Amino acid sequence: MARLLLIEDDDITAAEVLADLDERGFAASRSTTGPDGLARARAQPWDVLVVDRMLPGCDGLAVLQALRCEGNRVPVLILSALASVDDRVQGLRAGGDDYLVKPFSLVELAARVEALLRRPAELPQTWLRVGSLELNLAAGSAKRGQRSLELLPREFKILEYFVRRPGQVVTRAMLFQDVWAYNFVPQSNLVDVHLGRLRRKLDAPGEPALIENIRGVGFVLDAPR
Amino acid sequence: MRLADLLRTTAFRWSAVVAGAFAALSLALFAFVYWQTAGFETRELDAAVMAEARALVAVPADDAAGGVRHWLAADQHHVRYGLLVGADGRKLAGNIVAMPPGLPVDGRPRLVSGIDVTGSDDGDRDERDETMRGLAVPLSNGSTALIGLDTDELVHTRSVLLRAFALGLIPTVGLSLLGGMLLGRRALDHVAAIDRAIARIMQGDIAERLPVRGTNDEFDRLARSVNLMLDDTERLLEEVRGVGNSIAHDLRTPLTRARVRLERSRGAVHSADEFQGAIDEALQFLDQTFQTIAAVLRIGEVEHGRRRAGFGRVAMTPLLRDVAELYEPLGEDRDVTLELAIKAEVTVFGDRDLLFDALANVVDNALKFSNSGGRCRLSVAVEGATAVIRVDDAGPGIPESERASVLKRFYRSDRSRTSTGNGLGLSLVAAVMRLHGFSLRIGDNDPGCRIEMLAPVGPDAELPAGEQVVGLAPHGRSVVGAAGSG
Repeated sequence: MARLLLIEDDDITAAEVLADLDERGFAASRSTTGPDGLARARAQPWDVLVVDRMLPGCDGLAVLQALRCEGNRVPVLILSALASVDDRVQGLRAGGDDYLVKPFSLVELAARVEALLRRPAELPQTWLRVGSLELNLAAGSAKRGQRSLELLPREFKILEYFVRRPGQVVTRAMLFQDVWAYNFVPQSNLVDVHLGRLRRKLDAPGEPALIENIRGVGFVLDAPR
Repeated sequence: MRLADLLRTTAFRWSAVVAGAFAALSLALFAFVYWQTAGFETRELDAAVMAEARALVAVPADDAAGGVRHWLAADQHHVRYGLLVGADGRKLAGNIVAMPPGLPVDGRPRLVSGIDVTGSDDGDRDERDETMRGLAVPLSNGSTALIGLDTDELVHTRSVLLRAFALGLIPTVGLSLLGGMLLGRRALDHVAAIDRAIARIMQGDIAERLPVRGTNDEFDRLARSVNLMLDDTERLLEEVRGVGNSIAHDLRTPLTRARVRLERSRGAVHSADEFQGAIDEALQFLDQTFQTIAAVLRIGEVEHGRRRAGFGRVAMTPLLRDVAELYEPLGEDRDVTLELAIKAEVTVFGDRDLLFDALANVVDNALKFSNSGGRCRLSVAVEGATAVIRVDDAGPGIPESERASVLKRFYRSDRSRTSTGNGLGLSLVAAVMRLHGFSLRIGDNDPGCRIEMLAPVGPDAELPAGEQVVGLAPHGRSVVGAAGSG
């Protein structure tokens, strides 16, 4: 069970987040202030930290910086109402691994925490395999079973992102942020359109869908046991 | 009104300075006149006593007593003084009681004071401590003669001059100070009126203006300038209020929907699935409000202009390719063709993310408003020293009368009421363009809308010349973004 520490001062938000994470199988505890959070983060090992920025008495970034200075590499998700690009850059520079802007959805938070916990190893691989899917990273080619897939470069990148995270929920925002790498929130249902295209190429008629759409949440790549 | 305030006014201070300067100047002038007049009169007196002395020396020494008596007797105005003292020190003739001690006997005229005069001959004068211009000469028989003329004339001249000086100066200085006070009082009155107006403005009466008297003086000019500034401020406040109202309205619509949906579901919905559906819908409405808030904040962030720090060279070709690639599937989904035409390699100075955002917004709009089966075109070209990034769509176009308004926040053409979006897209584009110093032009594509972003190219002062920028163009080809790039 993953141990998660939430440093958040708003009681209602914290209670909902804790209950939600609990249901999803996390062992989540909460700290209400920066100094207390820092002390608890030091006192025992955690699998992931979720830190609010505007805490009574200090900025959550100060907690994060203190931990990083001590060589603590625990994955940290920063939660913040500060949404500007500068704020985001600041947060990531201070050592944050991901930055989620308030208001956020619980699903998004859970997906990102999950992503932090299961961060894919950045190994120099040539082949990626999940079930019947096979990606040749060097050649940029993909196969489903014996059928080779005709993918555009971007579609290949999207698929690679999923293949590196089998069985893991990927939200639209994560996909856009990591695959397109533009700091931008698309107005239309762009990501869905791109995913729709990719899925039509992945699934030949009669084949089961590899990437599932989870309504209102995002997508997940089916990971056969 | 306190006197201290009055004395501190600029008008009074200047009057005082001018009065002081005038007094000093008058004093110098009168001093000069006195000096000249006194010198002239002294020379006259000296000449007279020297002439008499010469006459006395010319006659035989034993007749000198007669000469002195004669000179004194001819004195009509009681201004002559004389004394003849024998070699033994005895007074032989004259109206002066005794020789003043220490007076050099050298025949040179000088100011002699403290002499006592007797009315010896006529018996009508008996004065003490007189002052005269006089000289003492030795005579051949050993006696000494002292001849002098009264200096009352000199004193009189001086007093006349002093009186004239006072008569001229006192009214001048007085009038200056009085005028200064009056002007100061006037200024203070004006300042007090302006103060009252400002107090009313600060209390929230933003329509109040500073009083203008119509005299066109410096106060009026200042008041007019301030009033123009107030007009501008009032207009801005009005705009902000308008934007605030628009935001409130745009937020209220989805919030109302969410509320109504939740409220109605509470009683009317029974199964778990139905509840979930209702909640999902309400969440969607809430997400719409968050999107609006995010868009408003983003525009604010851009308009603050602090992001210029993150500016760098941005190669437009890869950026345009990315935008086209991102939106091409959406176009296909809506049966609108999106074309990309790169007629020139252009590099601009700016923020890559913001330019992408702006361009994406324009393309998003173009696809959204284009008719099914239509054709949108994203192109970049260089015209003269300007890079033109153009987005043509196949929609209804924007009537000329609405072109300025579409850049305003929350403006939505009546025709677009039914489509999605928060009406903030183009105002974000406009803000990004302003931040970059680019211009935005809305034109006609006949039919459809043509939106052009105009960016300067060519020698860029803000960049080191000859620097090579490798863009993100596909196929491993580097895009050289030197001046005038091509």
